[in-house]
Amino acid sequence: MNASVNDIGVQFYATQLGVYDEMLAKEHKVLPHWERFMDAMGAMGSEQLESCRREAQRLLRENGVTYNVYGDSQKLTRPWRLDPVPLLISSDEWRLIEAGLQQRAELLDLVLKDIYGKQQLLKKGLLPSELVLAHDGFLHPCVGALPHQQRHLIVYSANLARGHNGRMWVLDDRSQAPSGAGYALENRTVMTRVLPDIFRETQVHRLSVFFKALRKGLADSAPHNKEDPRIVILTPGSLNETYFEHAYLSSYLGFSLVQGDDLTVRDGRVWLKSLDGLQPVDVILRRVDDSFCDPLELRSASRLGVAGLLEAVRRNNVAIANPLGSSVLENPGLLAFLPRLSRYFLNQELLLPSVATWWCGQRRERDFVLQNLDRLVIKPINRSAGHHVLFGGALSSKEKERLRAAIITKPHCYVGQEHVSFSTVPALVDHHIEPRFAVLRNFVVAGGDGYQVMPGGLTRVARQQDDFIVSNQAGGISKDTWVLADEPDRQVSLWLQTGRNVVLSPVTEPLTSRAANNLFWVGRHLERIKTSTRLLRTIVLKLTTTLESDDPLNSQSLSVLLCALTQVTGTYPGFIKSNADVLKQPQHELLDLAKNAQRAGTLTANIQAFAQTAFSIRDAWSQDTWRCVDNIQRRWQQRVVNNECDLEQLQKHLDDLMTGFVAFIGLTTESMTREAGWLMLDSGRRLEGSLALVALLRATVVQRHEPALQNQLLEAVLVSTDSLSIYRRRYRSFIQLPMVLELLLQDETHPRSLVYQLQQLSNHIGALPRERGNGRLSEEERLILRAYTDLRLLKVSELIQADDEASVYSELESVLSALTTLLWQLYEVLAQAYFSHSQMPQLMTPTQAEDEL
Amino acid sequence: MKYRITHSTLYQYSQMVGLCQNEARLQPRDFWRQQCQSSRFDITPEPADFQQRLDFFGNRVAYFAIQQAHQRLMVTAISEVTVFPRQSRDHPTNLITWEQVRDRLQGRPEQMQRQTQSQSQSQSQQQQQECPDDGLQDAKLYLLDSPMVNTSNELADYAQPSFQPARPLVQVVTDLMQRIHVDFTYDPSFTTIATPLSDVLHFRRGVCQDFAHLAIACLRSMGIAARYVSGYVETLPEPGKPRLVGADASHAWFEVYVPDTGWLDFDPTNNALPFDQHITLAWGRDYTDVTPLKGIAFGGGSHTLSVSVDVLRLE
Repeated sequence: MNASVNDIGVQFYATQLGVYDEMLAKEHKVLPHWERFMDAMGAMGSEQLESCRREAQRLLRENGVTYNVYGDSQKLTRPWRLDPVPLLISSDEWRLIEAGLQQRAELLDLVLKDIYGKQQLLKKGLLPSELVLAHDGFLHPCVGALPHQQRHLIVYSANLARGHNGRMWVLDDRSQAPSGAGYALENRTVMTRVLPDIFRETQVHRLSVFFKALRKGLADSAPHNKEDPRIVILTPGSLNETYFEHAYLSSYLGFSLVQGDDLTVRDGRVWLKSLDGLQPVDVILRRVDDSFCDPLELRSASRLGVAGLLEAVRRNNVAIANPLGSSVLENPGLLAFLPRLSRYFLNQELLLPSVATWWCGQRRERDFVLQNLDRLVIKPINRSAGHHVLFGGALSSKEKERLRAAIITKPHCYVGQEHVSFSTVPALVDHHIEPRFAVLRNFVVAGGDGYQVMPGGLTRVARQQDDFIVSNQAGGISKDTWVLADEPDRQVSLWLQTGRNVVLSPVTEPLTSRAANNLFWVGRHLERIKTSTRLLRTIVLKLTTTLESDDPLNSQSLSVLLCALTQVTGTYPGFIKSNADVLKQPQHELLDLAKNAQRAGTLTANIQAFAQTAFSIRDAWSQDTWRCVDNIQRRWQQRVVNNECDLEQLQKHLDDLMTGFVAFIGLTTESMTREAGWLMLDSGRRLEGSLALVALLRATVVQRHEPALQNQLLEAVLVSTDSLSIYRRRYRSFIQLPMVLELLLQDETHPRSLVYQLQQLSNHIGALPRERGNGRLSEEERLILRAYTDLRLLKVSELIQADDEASVYSELESVLSALTTLLWQLYEVLAQAYFSHSQMPQLMTPTQAEDEL
Repeated sequence: MKYRITHSTLYQYSQMVGLCQNEARLQPRDFWRQQCQSSRFDITPEPADFQQRLDFFGNRVAYFAIQQAHQRLMVTAISEVTVFPRQSRDHPTNLITWEQVRDRLQGRPEQMQRQTQSQSQSQSQQQQQECPDDGLQDAKLYLLDSPMVNTSNELADYAQPSFQPARPLVQVVTDLMQRIHVDFTYDPSFTTIATPLSDVLHFRRGVCQDFAHLAIACLRSMGIAARYVSGYVETLPEPGKPRLVGADASHAWFEVYVPDTGWLDFDPTNNALPFDQHITLAWGRDYTDVTPLKGIAFGGGSHTLSVSVDVLRLE
């Protein structure tokens, strides 16, 4: 037997005394449903298991699975971590959990309906009014705004943990906008790739049934168009911690991913602002906290919501999952009253108990909490800033006094909770399997006949032994959750509907104005990076030859090119108007133009802007394309930004960078359908490419130089526009200004020429959706036509006529400068026509007290 | 007393506004002290969408949206209201102490019902039971902190001298109102909507909104339910001078909940018990619940705002 095999079997697994373990229970004997799995693990051995872990990590990173960490100054996303050892749950046990969660969802739905409806619970004293009314989640404008439908709590999630007696407890309920289901799905996808044999041999319930139910549940909630509702996912944006999941679910479920300013309310209905005009929205799956969803009626400073949304809800023109106001159910004080409410509404005892909770709004409970501060966890009922969960035992006596006073002043704002211990699960840690405390998050969705529970979930374990904090923000590790079936599960595809054999008409998802804007800017950033990379490369090469020979011509042309670099990248003052030292010793400034992330116009700044803009429309990219973006950014960061790197090494990294962008362009050209999205991306590229080329020419050849110097400069221009070989093939002569200008400005067959960019841009603009019919040209069509025609009508020979004394080709300069102005106007007009969502909302409430009395 | 109230708000923008959505609480509500005979809006440009409803507090709300491009928005509400010359029923003679009120507000609903029964028997000789007191349950909302009113020890300390043991609540509140009137300077230049109460308390300056919020916070700090009222007060021209149309303004004061009696009005800015010159628009936990007009405009650049109010006595 190989020495490395069987080194991680059960015999090496040491649990803690008195702690319930998922694999061993209390008896210290492997539970039957773990046996086969552990045998398989043992047979694999630690080395192989560790390589599975690494493979999983690689897959997750490449799929772009991330978790944003708030307050990360590097603006970097944290890769999602997955432990290849799943949590196994037997089918018997699962039946209990499933029933418990269904009952709980049923109950919470009734509570929600009452709080925003008749408020019988408050009137009858079954719930103390201050418990509900003092909670931030209670939004009084939402009272009476629930639509008439069977269930209101559409999605629900709960965190479960097992106590030392072996019973499952509910730690908390998530009703606002529960996250994690997408991560659970991604974990499963990766697990079936890294442990395919074990997964196949173990009869594990599939997750797709849940997502099918989710689609159905959302569609059923639509007030209109139930047959074919438009469903969108409302995200706070790419800085949100679980943004990956929003983008992932939107691709997986086929819903548009939108931000607040992609939507608008008109005539009491919600509309999606797209390039094709306004499209009605029927259902919103929201990932924005409810109080941020409507700046008119709720939190007025919010930029994440849609003004008038609540009014649209009130008129039953849109369904929101979950309804605005549903975070009222996340009040921990509610846990103390659930058993009573369960008896009242369902005439049942709770199948899954909650963690023991004492709400301080009651005298007896408050006294108990105050007397037992040391052994309780104290939570404010509101999770707002400045309010934290406190472990009574860990407080100094001064802190304890302060807490005591706070509780006495506003007792209804606090609960005390039992300090529950969790059970441990086997986790792969440093090539060993060790016990770690675990919390299981489950997901539930409303369906026609009741609630459906995802047969699985997201298990999270603490990184350190003895640690109870499993949150992602604190660096916890996730696990797949395998619910074992009695018999093999049928694979359900989300996209297959049996029994129907009709050809569906293809659906084109409308492109939102925001996505259009971002795609356009991805194109612009991309082209900007390419231009400065090429120029930088040319300059670094020139610098090397200058250092090797003493030719004054070389250093003269180098100086011109350095100044051109500053002009083209807009990184003033740079090489312009500074002392001669910088021009003589340009190395430092050149490296700074590559590396500095804090300075606008540098390569790093542009690469970061490119990657962030691309990330904010993550759902627009294929898996391969995204991997390409990720590689570009990550490699640059590792090799150039985080590394000591000299100009020689930089040269190599610049080559790699170009290769990365070529791959990106190739992929997008190959994989994007020629619809509005691609048109936007390519228009951005063409516009920026034109501006950059014009800027380069203005910075290099407008100035008159002696023939030898001019010749050197023209060569550099051709090199950095990737046009030298074409020039040689075409003209087979020395490099001369008229021919260079002709090639770069007017050659319609040369894809780097200005006229080629403008022609493409003109085609794209013609193909963009807009209101037509009056036969007149739109403003953007006029502008591009003018630029294109002006350019074609130019006579190069006239451009470079100049007196012998003149220091510049003034005609050339005025033509190029006029083109620049036209192109900027074109951008303004395009932005106005297609990105008009960028109109910022403003609050129209008086800021000055209006009364005079 | 019958009034016609004309409340106009004019927004002017430096650039076009493509869309704006608004909520107006500019129509007086009906209750035992007043009745609104008619109330209408005059809005230019004409809103494409206009809906009215009652909000959580029973106030009249109008939602409207201007969906065409505009650079100027004029919203005028014109209402005719009769204010009955009724003092808040047994107001000055109500002898229930503040401690009794506090304790009853703290009771649970079940206990509350028992208490109400026993008390209504013992007090039935001295008090008419005009309104049966399911108001007590509703009043509890106004014990809690709200967006602009956060209770604190400093506010409780300021309130303390008015809260003599066993003092009737009505006397406590009257005393508090007088102290605010004396201690604080009316100064429109000092505060904005966003000035926190702690600043108002520290600098002893503010306007009617601040004084109402301050009084409410003091009362809530002591376990007494209080709410914010937005409305108007009739101003009489100085003798010999003509009445100026549109020179009036919005006003704000507060109400206190007294079990078995109801809500009593107090105006700390004028140190007065509102009688028939105070016209009520709406009430809520604080200003944020009853903002007369608020909206969100898309585009517009910078905007200027002017408000004119006219309270005209008809009879």
